[in-house]
Amino acid sequence: MSGRPIIASTQGFERDVTRWILRGYTVLAFTFLLLPIAIIVLMSFSNQRYMGFPPPGWTLHWYEAVREQPRWLTATINSFCIGIPTALLAIVFGTLAALGIARGDVRFRKFLLLLMMAPMMLPHVIIAIGLYPTLVDMRLQDSYIAVIIGHTVIGVPLVFITVTASLRSYPASLDLAARTLGAGTWQAFRRVTLPMIWVGIVSGGLLAFATSFDELMLALFLTSPGTETLPRLIWDQLSFALSPTLAAVATLILVLSVLLQGFAVYLGARRSALKRAQP
Amino acid sequence: MSDVKGFAELRFDGVAKRYGEIVALHPTHLVIQPGEVFALLGPSGSGKTTLLGMAAGFVSPTEGRILVNGQDITRMPPERRNIGMVFQNYSLFPFLTVAANVAFPLEMRKHPKAEIVPRVRQMLAMVRLEHLADRLPAELSGGQQQRVALARAAVYNPSVLLMDEPLGALDKNLREEMQDEIKRFHAQFGATVIYVTHDQHEAAFMADRIAILNHGRIEQAGPQSELYERPNNAFVAGFLGEANLLHVTAYAAGEAGSRSVATQEGLRLVVSGAVQTGRMVCIRPANITLSPAPLSYANTFAGKVVDLVHAADSIRYRVQLNDQCQISVRVTSRRADARFEKGQEVYAQWEPEDVLLMEN
Repeated sequence: MSGRPIIASTQGFERDVTRWILRGYTVLAFTFLLLPIAIIVLMSFSNQRYMGFPPPGWTLHWYEAVREQPRWLTATINSFCIGIPTALLAIVFGTLAALGIARGDVRFRKFLLLLMMAPMMLPHVIIAIGLYPTLVDMRLQDSYIAVIIGHTVIGVPLVFITVTASLRSYPASLDLAARTLGAGTWQAFRRVTLPMIWVGIVSGGLLAFATSFDELMLALFLTSPGTETLPRLIWDQLSFALSPTLAAVATLILVLSVLLQGFAVYLGARRSALKRAQP
Repeated sequence: MSDVKGFAELRFDGVAKRYGEIVALHPTHLVIQPGEVFALLGPSGSGKTTLLGMAAGFVSPTEGRILVNGQDITRMPPERRNIGMVFQNYSLFPFLTVAANVAFPLEMRKHPKAEIVPRVRQMLAMVRLEHLADRLPAELSGGQQQRVALARAAVYNPSVLLMDEPLGALDKNLREEMQDEIKRFHAQFGATVIYVTHDQHEAAFMADRIAILNHGRIEQAGPQSELYERPNNAFVAGFLGEANLLHVTAYAAGEAGSRSVATQEGLRLVVSGAVQTGRMVCIRPANITLSPAPLSYANTFAGKVVDLVHAADSIRYRVQLNDQCQISVRVTSRRADARFEKGQEVYAQWEPEDVLLMEN
C-alpha cells in the first residue's frame, strides 16, 4: 500500500482538460443564472414604453413612476407587514420543533421529522386551497392574519431545517454539561443552546422572510386589495402591460435581496468561525 | 441552589433501566465511599454509562433509588444535585474563554463577582493554566482542554465528581500524563469520584476500587488486586489481565489434604486447599514458569513451544501441553536460560495457589 494520493497518478494533460471543462461549465451555469437578472436591471433604465432588449436609450423615468404610484409603496409595506410577523412566528415554532425532535425524548422521531418537512413538499396551491375556506369561515380573509398564517406554514420547515442543522453541529453533551454545572432548563437554553444555534435561527428567519416576500400563490388566495403583497401586485400589473416599471420594481427587490443575502453570508462566516472553536 | 453539600457517600440502591424489552442495566446495588475513586470498567454497552447518567440525572432509573449521603436524589434534576461531570469530549463552551467557562457554574449559583474572580484564578492555578485564562477553548490542546473541564467541574466543590472516559480522546503518552495530573488533582482536592473507562490499566492506576460491568450487570467489584487475584468468573479474569481459562470436570482429594481438579482439556491440576468449588479455573500467563528441565512445582507439564511474540517488556509463548490444550506464558526475564525457541521442548510449571477457581 503506498500512501500516494490517487490523483497524482492522473496525467497532467488529462488534469488540464478536466479543469477546463469544469471552468467552462461553471461559466455557463453562472451566465444562465445571472444573465436574466442583468437584463432586467438594464431594462429598468430603458427609455422605451415596453420591455424590449437591448434598450435604445436610458432614463430613470420608470423609477419615478414607481415612486408616483402609491400602490407600489402600499404593497411594499404590506409585504413587510406580512413577512416580518411570518419570520418571527416561523422562528418560534420552527425552533421549538427542532429542539423537541433533535434533543427531546420523543417517539417516532423520523415520522415527526417528515411531518415537519411536509409543507415544503406540498404545492403551495394545495395549501392555499386547504386554507382558503377555513380562513373565510373565520372571516379572516381580508386581514393580514390570513396570509401570515399561510406563509408561516411554509416558513416553519425552513427554520426547522436550519436550527436542526445547528443543533447537529455540536454535541448534546454541551447542553448536559450546562445542566450538571447548575443551569436549569431555561438557563441552559439561554446561556448555552441559544449562543450555539442563534445563527441557525436567524438564517432560518431570513429564509422565511424572503420566502414570504417572494410568495405569489398563497398571496393570490389569501390577500385582498387592502393587503396585497408585491408579488401579487406585480402579477396584476403583468396581466395589464409589460411596462418597464415592473423591471424597476424587480431591480429594487433585487437590491433588497442582495442586502439580505449579504447579511446571511456574514452570519454564515461567523458560524464557521464558531465551528472552528469546537474541539 | 444546591441541595447536596460536602464529601459524599453515593449509594445506588437497586437501580435498573429498561427501554421497553431492552435492559440497559439490571437491578444494581453499589456503595461508593466518601473520597473514594471508583472506576466503572467494561466494554461499550455494558451499562457503565447508564449508571453514570443516573448519577448525573440524565437517565431516570425505571426502578431503585440513588442516595447521596442518605438523601434521595433519584428524581432531582441535574442542576440541583451538586454533582460535577467531566465529559469525554470536554464539552467546554466554545464561545466562552477558559476563565468564563470555569466561572459558569459559580454564576449559575449566583456567587458575587468579587468571589468568582479569585476562585476561578485559584482553580486554574491548580490545573496550571492561569496563563491561558483569556484564551478560547479551540486555542488549547486536548490535554489543556480536559484540564479546564476538570477545573470547571470542581470549582463549586461538588459532592461527587463523575468522569466519563475523560482521557478517551487523548493519545497514549498524553493520557498517561493526564492520569498523573488527575491523581495529583484528586490528592489535593479530595472529592468522591466515579471514573468510567474501558481501559483496564487506567482503571487500575486511577481507582481505589473497580466494578467490572458486562451486559448491564456488575460482574464483580473490589480493589484491583482482589479482582486480579480472585476473579469471580471468566469474564472478570479475561477482562482484567490475561488469562488461561480451563473447564473443570471433576474434583478429587489428594495426599496431605491437597486437592486436585480434572479439566475438560485433559489436565489434572493440584489446587490450593483454600478453594472449595468452581466450574472454571484461570492461570495467569505471568505466573507460569518455563524451564528446559522440570523444577519442583506441584503442577508441572511437558510441552512444546508453538509460537512466540516479543512485546515491549516481555516475551509471550504459546505452549502446546497436549492435543486439546495450548496455554499462554509470559516471561519477563531477559536471562539467556529463560529464552526458548519455536519447537523447543519445555516444562510449564506453576504452584497450586496460581490456579484460580471461579464459579463460571
